[in-house]
Parts: sequence; C-alpha cells; structure tokens
Amino acid sequence: MAWNEPGNSGDKDPWGNRDGKGPPDLDEVMKNLQKKVSGIFGGDKKGETGGSSGGTGGASGGLLIGALLVALVIWGFTGVYRISEGQQGVVLRFGEFQSFSAPGLHWHIPTPIEWVEVVDLGQLRAVEIGYRENSRTGQVGQVPRESLMLTKDENIIDIKFAVQYRIGNAKDYLFNIRDPEGTLQQVSEAAIRQQVGRTVMDSILSKNREQVAVAVKKTTQELLDRYQSGLVVTSVNMQDAQPPEQVQAAFDDAVKAREDKQRLINEAEAYRNDVLPRASGEAARVLAEANAYEATLVANALGVASRFTALREVYEQAPEVTRERLYLETMETVLSANRKVMIEGDAGNNMLYLPLDRLIKESDNVNSINLAPSRISQPAMQGTESRTVSRGRESR
Amino acid sequence: MNRVNLLLVVIALVMVGVSSMLFTVDEREKVILFRFGEIVRADYEPGLHFKLPVMNTVRRFNGQIQTFDAKPVMYQTQELKNVVVDSFVKWRITDVKAFYIAMGSVNVNARLGQIVNDISRAEFGKRTVQDVVSGARGEIMDLMRVAANKVTSDFGIEVIDVRLKRVDLPPDASNSVYARMSAGRARVAKTFRAEGAEEAEKIRSEADKDRSILLAEAGQKADIIRGAGDAKAASVFADAYNANREFYSFYRSLEAYRKVLGSGDDLLVLKPEGEFFKYFGDGVAPE
Repeated sequence: MAWNEPGNSGDKDPWGNRDGKGPPDLDEVMKNLQKKVSGIFGGDKKGETGGSSGGTGGASGGLLIGALLVALVIWGFTGVYRISEGQQGVVLRFGEFQSFSAPGLHWHIPTPIEWVEVVDLGQLRAVEIGYRENSRTGQVGQVPRESLMLTKDENIIDIKFAVQYRIGNAKDYLFNIRDPEGTLQQVSEAAIRQQVGRTVMDSILSKNREQVAVAVKKTTQELLDRYQSGLVVTSVNMQDAQPPEQVQAAFDDAVKAREDKQRLINEAEAYRNDVLPRASGEAARVLAEANAYEATLVANALGVASRFTALREVYEQAPEVTRERLYLETMETVLSANRKVMIEGDAGNNMLYLPLDRLIKESDNVNSINLAPSRISQPAMQGTESRTVSRGRESR
Repeated sequence: MNRVNLLLVVIALVMVGVSSMLFTVDEREKVILFRFGEIVRADYEPGLHFKLPVMNTVRRFNGQIQTFDAKPVMYQTQELKNVVVDSFVKWRITDVKAFYIAMGSVNVNARLGQIVNDISRAEFGKRTVQDVVSGARGEIMDLMRVAANKVTSDFGIEVIDVRLKRVDLPPDASNSVYARMSAGRARVAKTFRAEGAEEAEKIRSEADKDRSILLAEAGQKADIIRGAGDAKAASVFADAYNANREFYSFYRSLEAYRKVLGSGDDLLVLKPEGEFFKYFGDGVAPE
C-alpha cells in the first residue's frame, strides 16, 4: 500500500501529517522528524541538538535536520542487497564475521558498520596444469615447464591435468588463506608430481592413469583441508599423458613394432593355412591314385585270369585241335608281321652270306635294299606289310 | 544561521573524534596497538575496538595463510647429480608481536627462502635422485616443515607446509634421459620384431613339418594299398594258372611270341621245318 494513498488514515503517513490534506508545512515536518530522531537516538546529543533547534523553530536548522534525516534514510537503503541463487553472502560487522545470508533479498546495517562479501558457491572452476586453454578461441597452449615431470624410473613424461573445484566453505575461502586459487594451482601441481614420482612411466601410460588421478585428487584435497582453504576438489582429469616430444618417435616405433610382431605372426598363420589344406589335398590324391592302381591291377588280373580260364576249359575239352589252332594262329601273326629269310636243307652248314647289317639297316631306310637310285627318287614307301611281302618274295 | 554552522561543526568534530578513537580489525588481519611506538596490545579479535587518538597508533598485518614461492634452486644429490627444485612454503603469523619484533623490518620471504634453502641442501645431499623424486618426497617435506618451524616459531610464524613442487633434472641431463628413453624403446621395438619373427618361423616350420608328415603318411598308405593290389593280382593269376600248368606254359609262350615278334621290325632267319612248316615243301605231312 502506497504511503500517501488518498483516504488513508493519517497514521500510515510516514511524514506524520496529522493536519490532513495539503502539502505539509516544513516546520511541522521538521518537528515530526525531530520527534522521530529523538525516538531513535533517545538521549543522544544529536537528538538534543535537533531538539534545541526545533524548539526555536528556526527554518534553516529544521532544514538541516531534515537533510540529515533524508541522508540517513538513503544511507539506510544502501544496506539492501541481493544474493543470487548459488551464491552466499558473508556479513561482516566492523570486520568481524556476523552471519551468512542465503539467496534472496536482504538488508544489513549499511557500511561502514556492516558489509557483505558475496561468494559464488555453485560455480565450478578449473585450473589447468601443463596447458592453458584460451576460453575465447579454444586454442590450447603448452606449458612444458609444468607438464614435464620425472617418473619413478627417472623417465620424463608429459602430463596434462585439469583440476575442477568449487568453493565449499565461504568463510574459510574468504578469511583463511590468501590467494586460494593460486594455492590450489600450486598444491595440485605438487600433488601430481609427487604421485607421478611414485609411479613408473609405463604404468601411467597404459593402465594406471585413473589411479594416478584419484590419488592426486585425494592428496590435493588433504592439503587444501590442512590449509582450511574452503575449496573442494570435485574432479581431477588427466587430459593427456604421453612421452615427451623428443622421444615420441621412438615410442611410436615401439608401438609399431608390436603391430609388426602381430603382422609377422598373422602372415605365418596365413602360410600355414595355405600349406596344410594343400598338403591334405595332395595326400588324398596319393591315396586315391594308390587305390586306383590297386583296383586297376586286380581288375586286370581278374580279366586276364578269367580269359585264360575260359580258354583252358575249351582246351581241356579238345586239347589237340585247340592247341594246333592257337599255335598256327600265333605263328601266322608273327611270321606275317616280320621279314623272313628261309634256308632250305642243310644250308646252315654251307657258306651262306647274308648281309644282315644291310638288311637290318634297310628296315630303317626301306629303299636301300633295292640297290637302285630309287633310294633318292622314291623317298618314302609306306606300309610295312607290303614291304615285307615284296622282300619276302625277293629273298625267296 | 550561526547555530546551523555551529551544529555542523559540532557534528563534524564529533565524527572525527569518534572515528579517531575507533578502529576495526578484519577477520583477515592481525593488529598491533602501539603507544608512542611501544607495543601495548596485539591480541585483538575481529571487530570494533577503541584507541586514544594521537597517543595510539595501529599497525595491521595479514593474518591469512600466505605463500612463499621460492625460485627454482639447483641442489646436488648424494650421487652428485643436480636436480632443480621448485618449492613453496605456506606460512601464517601466529604471534604478531614476536613477528613484528623479529621481522617487522626484515623481508619475510628472504628469511623463509634462506631457511628452506639450507634445509633442502642438507636433505638432498643425503639422498639419491630416486629417493628425492619418489620414495622420500613426503618425508623430506615433513622434515623441512618441522625444521622450518623450529626456526620460525621464534619469529611468530607457523610454517604450515613446505611442498616440493617440482623436482626436475637440469636441461642437459634431461636430454640424456631422453636419449636413454629412446634407446629403451628401441630395445623394446627390436624385441617385439624379433619375437614376431620367431613366432612366425615356428609357425611356418611347424606347417612345413605337418605337410611333410601328411604326405609321407599318405605315401606309406598308398604303398600298402598298391602292395595289396599286387598281391591280390598275383594270387588271382596263380589260382587261374595252377589249374593247368602245361597249357599255361603253352598259352603264355604263344602270347610272348606275339608280343616279342609282333612289332614287324624283326628279321627272322628260318628253316622251313617244324610243326608250322610241315606242309610247306610238298604238301604232305612228313612221317
């Protein structure tokens, strides 16, 4: 409800205008103020001063009192302050801690008696160790002075950490320690180096990253608590852990070598997978050929044997005739196929000249036997049978 | 008008008077009250306090935990290696009177630096790099804190912590570390590759061996099968031929003649005698 709302009863008017409507007389205002002042300060000498001046009704004195009062009210209003969500106010009276104030609208006795320091409890902050990220451009700058550190096995490793924290206790944060953020930076750097110094390089590079981060967080928090810094570490992230630039190539090569090893093994396995099935196939072929040989041989033997048996049975029924027939047929075939020289009587005992070498040679070069130049003019006489016949006649 | 001026003057005088008789002590501060340079009181709680104007003066000190960040210093370890050590000290004024007397005019940081330096030099000289970096780091820091406190308690300072931030090798030593690391990795790489070759060779030779065995066994089986075939064939022949040996001999001879002389490449020199030629001369069978 507004102060000077029409129709209101006079006692709600802060100026105490009991005369009702119309602008208040300055003197009256002064008198009222004077009463109020003496009400506030009681037997204070200021009140006495105001009282004496008001008592005389001096216009300028009243004006001064009024001005002072207005100033007092304005001063009073400067004590209004607001705390946003996630923040906490710390009220100090003459430098002594008085109270905390939660989010919302508050009033404190104005400065220089009381003042408020506001701390942002909700905000998560981070310090970066070994690198600095430019929040505007997102570019990452290296800080090798911070990131290079010795491991337990006296190797040097390049590690980048981010430590996230927030303010847990506003009073501790404000009063106990000078430059809490800088302290956090120092403490976490010391903690990381201590932890890395306890760990061998390979273990950091491979599996124990998380363990290192956890230990760093623990140590950092312990130290921050020892300093009662009011800071709480929420997380420690190992952004990057790698061998330093100078040895990167050698490390990469070692990784490559591991791959090479696997590649060599894979190639050998491929070879094995190629050779063994082929060998199996070859073995199967050898076996199959052997089986084929056996089957063929046995079948042939059975065939030949049964042919003989059949003939034998016939032979045993008529031995003489069959025997003669077989003999003659064979001789017929044999003799008709070859060239022959017949010698009558006891020619064996006489001198008989046969140009055997020429006859044999003639079997290769047919025409030479004719003793004629036809050897040249008749280059090729085909047909063994006709030759044999003609030669047989000739020799006869 | 006179009265108004008078009032203003009175108010002003009162305010000046009051303010010169009062002083505040912040939560962060330690304050000493002097009377003409002599310390009167040094145990003020935060808040509003009185003093006499002119006679008393106030001097304020920071009562928070403060940091002394030492410059990196090179120390020698037991094995005469150099290490660069960067440390910091967290300290706080506990007895502001003693502090003022001892150090009011002296540079605190220089004094702390000197103390830390002395202790560090002694402690590092007793230890190896390995110890300093790894095992004894915490121990050294505790020792340093205790030793520093012994000295600084006289100055009204409590050393809350001495931390070794960085313990590094100097740049030239770092380079030899890098060389060693590279060599170590090269060794690992060689080992990997050699192991790969070893494994591969094993697999290949094993495969070759398996192949040879497979083929040899197959050959053996094949020979057994062939042998069985030979035997079976022989027995078939034997069974058939044993039925009439004389006829077999005759039959087989004829077959052999045919085979041997059947090609047509031979020259036969014959007497027209024998069974085949018995009718050859005159057509009468000779008796």
